[in-house]
Amino acid sequence: MRRRSTAVGAGASGRVRRRRGPKLAGLLAVVAMLVLGCGGPRAPIDPAPVGNVGEPMPAGVSGAPADAAPDTTGCDTDSLAPSSAIPAGSTMAKIKQRGRLIAGVDASTYLFGFLNPASGEFEGFDIDIVKAIATQLFGDWHNHVQWMAVPSSARESMLEKDQVDIVVRTYSITCDRLQQIDFSSRYYVAGQRVLVEKGSGIHGLTDLEGKRVCATQDSTSLQTLAESSVRPIPVSVRNWSDCLVMLQQGQVDAVSTDDVILAGMARQDPNLEVVGQPFTTENYGVGIPKGHEDMVRYVNSVLDNVRNGGAWRASYNTWLQPELGADSPPTVTYQ
Amino acid sequence: MTSTVTRPSAPESPVPAPETSRSGFLGLLQLPVTLVRRVISSARTTPGLLTVIAVGLVVLTLLTGLIGTLMVQQKITTTDQLITDREPQTAASEEVYRSLSDADATAAIAFLVTGPEPAVLRTRYDQDMAQAGAALAKAAANATGDAATKVTTISQQLPSYAGLVATARANNLQGFPVGASYLQEASNLMRTTILPAAGDLYKMDTATLVAQQADAGGFPWFTAALLVCSLAALVVTQVFLTRRTNRLLNVGLVVASGGMVLVLMWGVVALLVQSSLIGTGEDDGSRPVDLLVQARAAAVQARADETMTLVARGSGADYETNFQQLAPLYLNWMQEAKGMLSGDAAAQVQTAIVNSNNWLATHKDLRAKDDGGDYVDAVKEAVDPSVPNNASTFFDNVDAALGKAVDDGRQEFVTNTNDGENALTFLGPGIAVLAVVAAGGATIGIRDRLREYR
Repeated sequence: MRRRSTAVGAGASGRVRRRRGPKLAGLLAVVAMLVLGCGGPRAPIDPAPVGNVGEPMPAGVSGAPADAAPDTTGCDTDSLAPSSAIPAGSTMAKIKQRGRLIAGVDASTYLFGFLNPASGEFEGFDIDIVKAIATQLFGDWHNHVQWMAVPSSARESMLEKDQVDIVVRTYSITCDRLQQIDFSSRYYVAGQRVLVEKGSGIHGLTDLEGKRVCATQDSTSLQTLAESSVRPIPVSVRNWSDCLVMLQQGQVDAVSTDDVILAGMARQDPNLEVVGQPFTTENYGVGIPKGHEDMVRYVNSVLDNVRNGGAWRASYNTWLQPELGADSPPTVTYQ
Repeated sequence: MTSTVTRPSAPESPVPAPETSRSGFLGLLQLPVTLVRRVISSARTTPGLLTVIAVGLVVLTLLTGLIGTLMVQQKITTTDQLITDREPQTAASEEVYRSLSDADATAAIAFLVTGPEPAVLRTRYDQDMAQAGAALAKAAANATGDAATKVTTISQQLPSYAGLVATARANNLQGFPVGASYLQEASNLMRTTILPAAGDLYKMDTATLVAQQADAGGFPWFTAALLVCSLAALVVTQVFLTRRTNRLLNVGLVVASGGMVLVLMWGVVALLVQSSLIGTGEDDGSRPVDLLVQARAAAVQARADETMTLVARGSGADYETNFQQLAPLYLNWMQEAKGMLSGDAAAQVQTAIVNSNNWLATHKDLRAKDDGGDYVDAVKEAVDPSVPNNASTFFDNVDAALGKAVDDGRQEFVTNTNDGENALTFLGPGIAVLAVVAAGGATIGIRDRLREYR
């Protein structure tokens, strides 16, 4: 009742209000302003705004290679015929005199060439090749090998500057590289495949369209990716291990390179798998500076022994067989 | 609101303001004008003029006293803040930089040691990280503007860094070479993002410290001018009174002038002493400390470069280049700081210089070994404290000696600055009392003359 009468009263006094209204409203506005202060509505302050933190990345990450793809069809990749002789004044004689074979190897490719953190020793399939060469030269490789960890992008330059005697580092024999350095015969045949997280829905090269795919700078794998008609987005890093870091951090969708390297990564992380068929053929050879034909022939004779004796299988079974299954040594033809 | 509207008896328009109130308001405005007129008219008579002079002198002396006392208190506060706020803030940001660099180096060393990570290194890394966190909280406390941005960068990235090191460690424990890659990523984050921010933060804090030192040691020109004005006014009044009354001395005014002269002398002496002590605190304390801090930070970074070159195994040329750039820098800084220091601090810096040179020789040797393929011996020479002439011991000696010299320098700063603050302790109340005495003297002196006109 009371509410209603008030309403009626308000209605009845409408005429009165019309005259006093503006003044009263103005007064109220002034009072409101004095009490509440000026300015618009205010929002609570975010005490610690965080924008894009920027995920940490390995040093030296970049994109596609600048070089053109190597022309693997235009040359003879066969090596020189083997010879185990060590004539006086030869490259091998100089190495024997020095007492050490200087070998450029990889320190971060699990299973092929890596530094065992527990023992501090280099281990892997490539390392076994170096040991075989040193053993044939010196009778025992212990204390006769000077290991040099080289990044894949520095392999040619170190050979050209004669800083190393040999490079055994997942080194594909290509015509491009043959113009700068010499290669031994092939001691392993790998193929480029794809490493992804299990259940990612990527089953091979064809699923990589628009995906970020990691490979090392100056590697043939990176060039193959950049040339691919599937058009993945190449991401290049310094070392193969950096690719694994980026894959684990979700910064790339896949790593694509030779199956043996991928196998090493898969071994370090059970959530990863190697998928698809090999879409390239990579012949690994021992890199040797140009002008040392005697050394090429000598290394070829060592590799002959490795392939034909039990050494190849023993090494393969130790490092790669659990990941890649049984395999046998590659066949070789010479010039 | 509704009730107001419905009240029929309410007046329909406000009552116009009465004429009187408007004239009253204007009258209020005219009051000072009237007052000035009256003062001017009364000043035409000698007693009136004397009254005006008396009031003027009292106001001037009391104002001088008030402003002088406030100035001194302000200076005491500023000087005190140097010790309690600014310098600890600078030291905190220095600690952030140093402990993070050391953590980076220590994590790398742990990787070079084969087998399980030695407990000593683990403890050192944990200690570094904890110290960095604690120092960052202190450095963040008063950070504003750009400094706050730097603090934000560090505090956002530091957890990422710790996470990467932990991942590296976990992989390393399982014998996975990817651990080294994680460590390099962590080190890259530290070097390209966190340490530059920490370095900027330190530079900003040092700049603020230097500015506040200049502020605390500066001469208060305004107060001095005011003081000279009141002294001049007192002298002029005395000359004026001597001419008018033919009396040579007015005791009250002489007392007032004496009080002001005392303020002037005391103030100048105390401020000169304080300013000189703050200057000493800067020259013998904070400035060499700044150089030593920079030298220490550069040395720790060089150590990190040395170890990361070995961790990178062949792809560490960038780290080595960095090392070669840092070495002459910190040697120069140490030499420069040594020239500013004396006694124990200088001796400590000398120890640091000697050990730095030894370290450089060892570094050259271990680089030759590593480049020549003798990696294992190179690593031993770098990290094994039991090998003769190892880099680890030399570096630790450099770091410890610089740390002691920094502590000495900080003590020098605190002692001198505190003495400077103490030089002002009684000046504030002294000015206040003397100003009141001067005001009283002026009042009595002029009242004596006024009495003669009755």
